[in-house]
Amino acid sequence: MLARAADNLYWMGRYIERTEHMARFMNVNYFSSLDAPNAKSQKRNFVLRSILFMAGDPVGKNDKVNEQEVLYKVGLDQDFPSSVCNSICYARENAHSARDLISTELYESVNKFYHFATSYPKERFVKTGLFEYTSQVTELTAILRAKIRGTLLHDEIYAIIMMGVNMERALQITRMINAKYNDARLAPGSYGDRFRNSYEWTTLLKCAESYDMMRRLYKKSPSSLSTLEFLILNPRCPRSVMNALNQIYRHVVSLNPMKIDDKDSTAFLVGKIRSEYQFKCIEDIEGDIQGYIDHIFSELTEIGSRMEKEFFHY
Amino acid sequence: MAKKQKGIFSKYDRNPKLFDELYDQQGEVNDVYKKLFKLYGQHSIEDYAELNGRAKASFFNQGITFRVYSDEKTNEKIFPFDLFPRIIGADEWAELERGVVQRCKALNAFLWDLYHEQNILKDGVVPMELVGSSENFLEQMVGFDPPGGIYNHISGTDLIRHTDGKFYVLEDNIRCPSGVSYVLSNRTALKRALFGVFNHYNAHTVTNYAENLLDLLETVKPAGVDKPNTVVLTPGMYNSAFYEHSYLAKTMGVELVEGRDLYVENDFVYMKTIHGRERVDIIYRRIDDQFLDPLEFRKDSTLGVPGLFAAYRKGNVTLANAPGTGVADDKAVYTYMPEIIQYYFGEEAILHNVPTYHCSRKEELEYVLDNIAELVIKPVDEAGGYGISIGNTLSPEEIEEVRNTVRAHPRKYVAQPIMSLSVHPTYIEETQSFEQRHVDLRSFALMGSDREFVLKGGLTRVALRRGNLIVNSSQGGGSKDTWVLKKSKKNAG
Amino acid sequence: MADCFRITYNAENSYDYPVTAATWQFLILPLENESQHHLKFEFSNSLGAYWELSHSGFGFRTIRVRSKGPVSRISFTAEISLIKEVVNPFAFNPEMVPPFNGPELKLQDFRLTFARYIRPTHLTTLPPGSAALYSWDQGEGYLEKLQALNTWVYEYLYYTPGVTDVDTSLEEVLGLNKGVCQDFAHLFIALARNKGIPARYVSGYLHQGKGYFGDAQMHAWAEAWVPGIGWIGFDPTNNILAASNHIKVAHGRDYDDCAPLKGIVFGEGENTSQHAVAVQSQQ
Repeated sequence: MLARAADNLYWMGRYIERTEHMARFMNVNYFSSLDAPNAKSQKRNFVLRSILFMAGDPVGKNDKVNEQEVLYKVGLDQDFPSSVCNSICYARENAHSARDLISTELYESVNKFYHFATSYPKERFVKTGLFEYTSQVTELTAILRAKIRGTLLHDEIYAIIMMGVNMERALQITRMINAKYNDARLAPGSYGDRFRNSYEWTTLLKCAESYDMMRRLYKKSPSSLSTLEFLILNPRCPRSVMNALNQIYRHVVSLNPMKIDDKDSTAFLVGKIRSEYQFKCIEDIEGDIQGYIDHIFSELTEIGSRMEKEFFHY
Repeated sequence: MAKKQKGIFSKYDRNPKLFDELYDQQGEVNDVYKKLFKLYGQHSIEDYAELNGRAKASFFNQGITFRVYSDEKTNEKIFPFDLFPRIIGADEWAELERGVVQRCKALNAFLWDLYHEQNILKDGVVPMELVGSSENFLEQMVGFDPPGGIYNHISGTDLIRHTDGKFYVLEDNIRCPSGVSYVLSNRTALKRALFGVFNHYNAHTVTNYAENLLDLLETVKPAGVDKPNTVVLTPGMYNSAFYEHSYLAKTMGVELVEGRDLYVENDFVYMKTIHGRERVDIIYRRIDDQFLDPLEFRKDSTLGVPGLFAAYRKGNVTLANAPGTGVADDKAVYTYMPEIIQYYFGEEAILHNVPTYHCSRKEELEYVLDNIAELVIKPVDEAGGYGISIGNTLSPEEIEEVRNTVRAHPRKYVAQPIMSLSVHPTYIEETQSFEQRHVDLRSFALMGSDREFVLKGGLTRVALRRGNLIVNSSQGGGSKDTWVLKKSKKNAG
Repeated sequence: MADCFRITYNAENSYDYPVTAATWQFLILPLENESQHHLKFEFSNSLGAYWELSHSGFGFRTIRVRSKGPVSRISFTAEISLIKEVVNPFAFNPEMVPPFNGPELKLQDFRLTFARYIRPTHLTTLPPGSAALYSWDQGEGYLEKLQALNTWVYEYLYYTPGVTDVDTSLEEVLGLNKGVCQDFAHLFIALARNKGIPARYVSGYLHQGKGYFGDAQMHAWAEAWVPGIGWIGFDPTNNILAASNHIKVAHGRDYDDCAPLKGIVFGEGENTSQHAVAVQSQQ
């Protein structure tokens, strides 16, 4: 496969995944805040600032934000590079460039998705469409994921797309953790260890579509520790950083199984990092959560640039 | 007179002065269309409008579009598609096919001669000025033997049917003819919308184009290569024909590359893959000669590959079509096609050329000067429709002016009769009815070192504006699925 | 008799912003023919970028350098030693030369054979009316007529570096009355072609031992087809025939076919290019 086409496919995967997380983050944050148990978590400004933080466009503590403007910007604005709509445009642009390599079915779904997102009326969106738009976007990404899995040969093309999907998933989950960690400090819970018991942990799990799974496993209300353990370290949680790293590892190795022995290869680096997570426990992280979040970011960045150099350098 | 028609053709307004593909001169439906006419007649115009809308949405969702460049943004447009197919009978097609092959082979022989001994010029059959003044004559190709001796591996021949009912060649396209992907997507769209009609007709498939293309390209692989690696070279995703490039790469199962994916080392061409480099042996290039190699042609080309031409001249890579084919498909050369076919094969041209009067010949000049009102006057050396005068649109003063210009510079002009394209019933959205629209036909022919292939079908282009003769997609043209019938009694009506 | 020359070619390219995926092509190797033979050839570049020998579209030897970049500055050096046979441009039988303006230039076969060198190119197109600048009334036969043209061009233009570049049209050159070797060559070629005489552009090196014009750069002159003799080199910059001191690299329709250095780079900003050539006689 061409290095440039691989680059396109990798980024198609990343943007599809990014679209989903950003849309769900908007949706969950906005709607679950409406009846949040504490006043802080209910505040519009607080929620909108969290959304902007997640979109990589943070505002100061005292800056006034306008609800319709923020929602439009992060949801639909094609002039704001990190908007949900733009992520879809980029996903489609990359799919277009490599359309000879992907299935007609996948391309058609990406294309329909693109037409849906770019033609969604602004008025409707800011007034009544937030739920509809963001839910539709997350639904459509699920269709894309199914088309990726079900209509492509599981060969190099599939591996490269899945590398992109999982890289982005690990990154976005970590970004969400980062955003919600911030929020939990600002909006603590009402009893016991107030940081540990912030309502924001519940919101975080919902943003990651992992709340039900987590409740099933832990059988009690989410706390900082259980939430972070679940989203970072649990390999069976399909949204966890650990799970994403395992998948990246599997797909990178499938590209060239001989490379595991080469210490300069991506496979070697991912293998090394995933082993670190495999034998880490939440107590190791507890003392310095922010430090650990930063650590995850820097390791993911390192994997990203190693991949770039090994596979996409053209 | 025509019988009273019901259903969707009830409002069809047939102008008997035009050649209608559906009806004969007496207003009877032609044999090949009879069944279809009956089948379509069962639909109401509302059914038809709905099917038409669905077909459009299907094209749009699949992203079978071309990009139109307007002031600010690029817009995507679907190539308008008409659900009423054009049908060509087996015998008529067999003749067209023979004619197209003859023409492609003659063009190839002509190109070989031009880039080698130039006998046809020495013998004065084609004037040397005609080739000498062509910017498309590539000096770098002189004396070079392209692999397999083939220049125009892929040809698109534009045909029209005149009011006399005969097919004429309007143009040969042997640079990078496009449109074949629309033939295939039109067929798919028609099958999806009106699958029932295919049960009643035995039309040739068009899906075998890509396999034949790959197969024939491999016959001209570089010497010493066992399993050639073929790629399609595109200018990139912003090119208006990108859909076609990706479609062809995908259906051939080969890589779609851009110039920046390739490099040349030791006069071999390599592509950059995720596992390092891989040698490339055959390039179906969809970029123009002048952009192929910035070291050899246009310095500012960012689409090409530095050193590509050196690799080609060394025989290490095959380019299809060969560089320099453009010299043989220009307007002036076209007028000599009957002579060119005669010169190389000693045969009459099977397909008619639009007759051309060379004003440089005295008796033809006289005829032209006396009949300007019925002729199209074209300068020999202008491209792109510049300087053309259409006789029946000129005032008497303008005719006099043209007459004087031609008389002063007879060598610079040729003249042709004004051709009328045949018409075909076409669904018009605005009026929600079928109307007559002018159509042409682009056929696609492939040539390898050991055989030729003509796609049994073609792109029937439709001029959607009433009375318009221009069928180009950039001018708002649409297209139709084109059925070539298999030879069998079943199709007789 | 033969001379031995040592040629040193240096080029240095700098870019405002580093460029990636760059390719450079040099057309600087002396042609190997009956009078020119390489003894030694060395090439290097400051970045150790990959290079190889190849051919131009017209079959002349090239050196192609490719770098993955980024490159801000790169220098190239070529050293060539060669033997040059002493050439006497007058070694022909004058009786073989037909009289000037005879029918031979008009023969179709002749015009076809030499079509490439009769047709004007954009760098050798005479501006309207300027064909009359030169009257062709000096001299008798082809050779004398062309020598007179050589002298006329030499006198008509003032050798002035820096006022023209490689894209300057003849219209501008004639307006300035100034230029360097490629302008002299283009003017000579344009006037000869206008008369129906095949003429081609030649790039190469000039050994300047005798104080000829040509600067520490590559030189350019012209060759014209003299019926009955063949291609003869004329150096209008120096008003001489090309002979033992002219070391030919390539010929073509005009400068564009013979450009010594072509750089294909991807990047923004300006670039500067400096060349230096030294030709030493080793005898």
